[in-house]
Amino acid sequence: MGLPTKDNIQPFAPDIFTLPPDNETQPVLLGGFCPECRDYFFPAPRFCPECLGRIEKKEVGSKGKIYSFTVVRTPPPFGLPSPYGIGYITLRQTGLRVLGLFDPEDIDELKINANVALSVKPLGCDKNGLPQLRPCFALETDKE
Amino acid sequence: MGSASIAGVGIIPFGKHPDKTLIDLGAEAGYRAIKDAGIDPMRIGAGFFANGMAGRLFGDSTIGQNIFWELGINKIPVINVENACTSGSTAFYLAYNMVAAGQVEIAMVIGAEKMCVPQSGLINSGETELDTRMGLIAPAGFAMRAARYLMEFECTPEQIAMVAVKNRQHAGLNPNAQFQTPLTLEQVMASPMIVDPLTRLQCCPIADGASSVIICSPDIARRIRKPVHVASAILCTGSYGNHQDMVVWETDARGCRLAYEKAGIGPEDIDVIECHDAFTISEILHYEALGLCGPGEGARVGLAHCMGEDKAGGLKIKQNRTAGFMYFPFFIN
Repeated sequence: MGLPTKDNIQPFAPDIFTLPPDNETQPVLLGGFCPECRDYFFPAPRFCPECLGRIEKKEVGSKGKIYSFTVVRTPPPFGLPSPYGIGYITLRQTGLRVLGLFDPEDIDELKINANVALSVKPLGCDKNGLPQLRPCFALETDKE
Repeated sequence: MGSASIAGVGIIPFGKHPDKTLIDLGAEAGYRAIKDAGIDPMRIGAGFFANGMAGRLFGDSTIGQNIFWELGINKIPVINVENACTSGSTAFYLAYNMVAAGQVEIAMVIGAEKMCVPQSGLINSGETELDTRMGLIAPAGFAMRAARYLMEFECTPEQIAMVAVKNRQHAGLNPNAQFQTPLTLEQVMASPMIVDPLTRLQCCPIADGASSVIICSPDIARRIRKPVHVASAILCTGSYGNHQDMVVWETDARGCRLAYEKAGIGPEDIDVIECHDAFTISEILHYEALGLCGPGEGARVGLAHCMGEDKAGGLKIKQNRTAGFMYFPFFIN
């Protein structure tokens, strides 16, 4: 089965990640930034939890290290692949530790402290069975 | 702020009860608590019904009122408490505070859960929260704690798994436990992997069950046969801030510290602990949050207990015989 094109498939939630038009540009997670407190948040809250000020939408990172992970081997929710990998990733750009799926092709190679980079793939589906795009982190291989 | 005591308790055997409705389960536990307390149910001033899943599984709402009416209790304030896995403790916390504040003389808590139905799935938090829609399920969170714990400390997966062996030993002494036959470490490790590194026998099963607690004022407690004074009851919420530390469980440690402070005791004063064990790793982390041992020592403590040593980490630890929830299943109550 060929890969569906990204422009046919809806993101599972709005404003969580950028959707670059080509496969060369790195997608990025979108979160929030409080200009008063100078803090980043993911996902973007409605108000800054510290000062209740208005939040600016900002990119919060696309690369990081695996903090912890697991592989879920029971029937998955939302039509996710079975098994699927999920974990927490500490983002290099802002230091935020975020929950993220892992690229299904990497789940047997995951290790704590491995470097990963954001990708966007059709993972899971909505209530009508239509595929949805979810962000996932793929292991970075050392490039020569 | 006044105080409160437990006047009576009731519990039903946990397991599969396909012929019983949620109302049947709750009412039976409540009946047993009333008989245990020896009080007139007409004197109960407020009722709290704890349940985490019935709204989602059956579309039930305000089912607590139905359950209390099965015991002839109506017209009083009844609060239905849904707080996921902490529904039961939350209901207890509310009832305790209401009595301690002098609002009522007697409050009754009933918790019931009916999960052995085809539509039960793995526990997640619904469809609204982002992490849930990303694929986070409750067991995965605990598995990640275990993975990080194994990485940070000198601990093996087998040491963590021994908690399950120990708890089965205890379950064998509890006629209300769902599973009572002993388990070997080999059986625990060989059971199917659910969420790496936790195998099935390291995870709480689903079950149907119910329990009930009646809480009373000091005045009433004087006339009860065997009241149990409540030294403290604490409820707290985790932080949504960054970073998440999945090994030093801040929420847990904070709750324990507040409970000790309010009760005016420390871990060295504890004789018996009934420790929540949704997963093997969670019991180990609770030992550490309770201050029974230092970070990274929890697995060794569990293992030491299993091997029959009375002292571990410098503390004498006796665990009671209800086997926690792993074989006296935790689900949401």
